[in-house]
Formats: sequence, structure tokens, C-alpha cells
Amino acid sequence: MSDLPEFIIDREFQAPRDVVWKAWTDPALLSEWYGPRVETIIHKFDLKPGGVWLNEMKMGDKSDLSKMTFQEVVPEEKLVWHHSSTDPDWNVVSNPMMPDWPRVLLTTVTFQDQGDNTQVRLVWTPYEATDAEIACFAGAMDGFGSGWGAGFAIMDELLADLLADKT
Amino acid sequence: MEEISYGTGPANLDAVFAALADPTRRAILTRLAEGQASVNEIAAPFAISQPAVSRHLKVLERAGLIERGVEEQRRPAKLKAENLSAAVDWLTEFRAFWDTSFEQLDNVLLQMKNAQLKETKDE
Repeated sequence: MSDLPEFIIDREFQAPRDVVWKAWTDPALLSEWYGPRVETIIHKFDLKPGGVWLNEMKMGDKSDLSKMTFQEVVPEEKLVWHHSSTDPDWNVVSNPMMPDWPRVLLTTVTFQDQGDNTQVRLVWTPYEATDAEIACFAGAMDGFGSGWGAGFAIMDELLADLLADKT
Repeated sequence: MEEISYGTGPANLDAVFAALADPTRRAILTRLAEGQASVNEIAAPFAISQPAVSRHLKVLERAGLIERGVEEQRRPAKLKAENLSAAVDWLTEFRAFWDTSFEQLDNVLLQMKNAQLKETKDE
């Protein structure tokens, strides 16, 4: 496609493709791993183009809600969805901390054989985004790459110093 | 149910990220990490004018990364660490989201494979 900024993760899993696909598409299994060290509740999971996945991640007494709308479902090969934050009524909202974070991120997950294992690639890119949203996403992605490499190291040191001063 | 929350405080992370995107502003923040300083003191090590430093300070102030003192003459700039910390936390969490989730997926896959093996044995 494009010159849109992308966030890409490549990861090999030690299981054959049908097993990995099942872990991504069976909500009982998906809720076991999706979301880092949080309780994940899948309120709805309708695996077909146009179907939605309503996801709640509980962190203490707070909840992070998101709505995924499937665009493409190719069994054991490809999953494509639109990813958004929502309010408690599952209406798409912008990120309260970052108004310019893209409201919709196009998420593409592909599954490929790698011997007996499975290679998964996940790509996030802004969807129908404003220039401001694209710039915000690109800025944050720069934070992971070389763009801010040195800056990040400085921040880390600086924060460590500040925390040390406080105690 | 509460609204989605990525932390506390008034930080507008858009502005914080935009402010951090500039190497001179990062250098100014690093300088301020050593202690508060006047525009003169901040400008000294840089090959840029005081008005240019003042413009950078305005961007940092609007992003909530620094505050300016009220003393008329010096108006020393002082680092506000909370919003900086919020931005770094946000990026760290974003990256950790998938890393940690995928580690959890490794465990789920292992359990699935073990269950399959057990079924095959039982047959």
C-alpha cells in the first residue's frame, strides 16, 4: 500500500498453523492470552467479515474497552480487523490520553508455515486517518525505531535520576 | 464501568510526543534534569539564539514538560517529570502489550499441544 506508518511484529510460535489459528479465533482461548497480565473478557466474538469482537481488559477497578470489526477471515491464513477504543456503550472514541492517536487501526495478522512451527506477522497501520492522526502514530512509532533511539536512552537515565532524587 | 484510562494526570500525550520529537528540546530537558536554569544558562551550550531557546521552552511548557518561574528577570525553567514519565510509560506499555501477550500465547499453545497428545494416547 503505502507510505503510511506501520507497526510490525514478527513472531514464530512453536505449534502448527491449525493450532495457532485456533488460539487466535476461539474466544475461550483468545481471552487466555490477549492482554498482558490482565483479566480479558470477550463480550462478543463473531468471526466473519463485518462481525465484531468486543473486548474488555480489566485492570483493577478500571476497564480498557475495544471493538474489533473483522474485514477479512481466511482460515489458517489471514485475519484483518479494524481496531478501536470504545466507551462503555461500545461506541468508538478517541484515546482520552492522546486525542490524535488514530481512532481506527487496520490490523492484519498473517499465519505461515515455518517447518513444524508457525510464523505470525502482525501489522498495525492507521485507517482512514487524519494527517494529525498519521503524524501522531508515526511519532510514536519513531520512538521504537532509530528516530528517538538516543532520546529514549536519555529519558530513561533522566527518569532514573529523578526517581532517585525523590526517594 | 469506568472510562478507559492509561494513567493519571493532565498530560496531553500528543503534545508531549510532538515536543519530544525535536533533538534540541530533548537536550534542553536533559539540561533541566540537572536543575532549573534561565534562558541564558540553557542557551549557552547550544549554537542557537536565546529567542530560539525561548520558542523551544514555550513548546515544552505547553506540553506540560516544564514550568517557568515567576521571577521577572530570570524566569528559570524547571522540569516537570510527571508528564515525561507518562509518555515513556505509554510507549513502554504499547510495546509490552504484544510482547507479553505473545508470551502468554506460547503457554496456551503448549497446553493445547499437550491436550492433543493426551487425546491421541487415550484413543
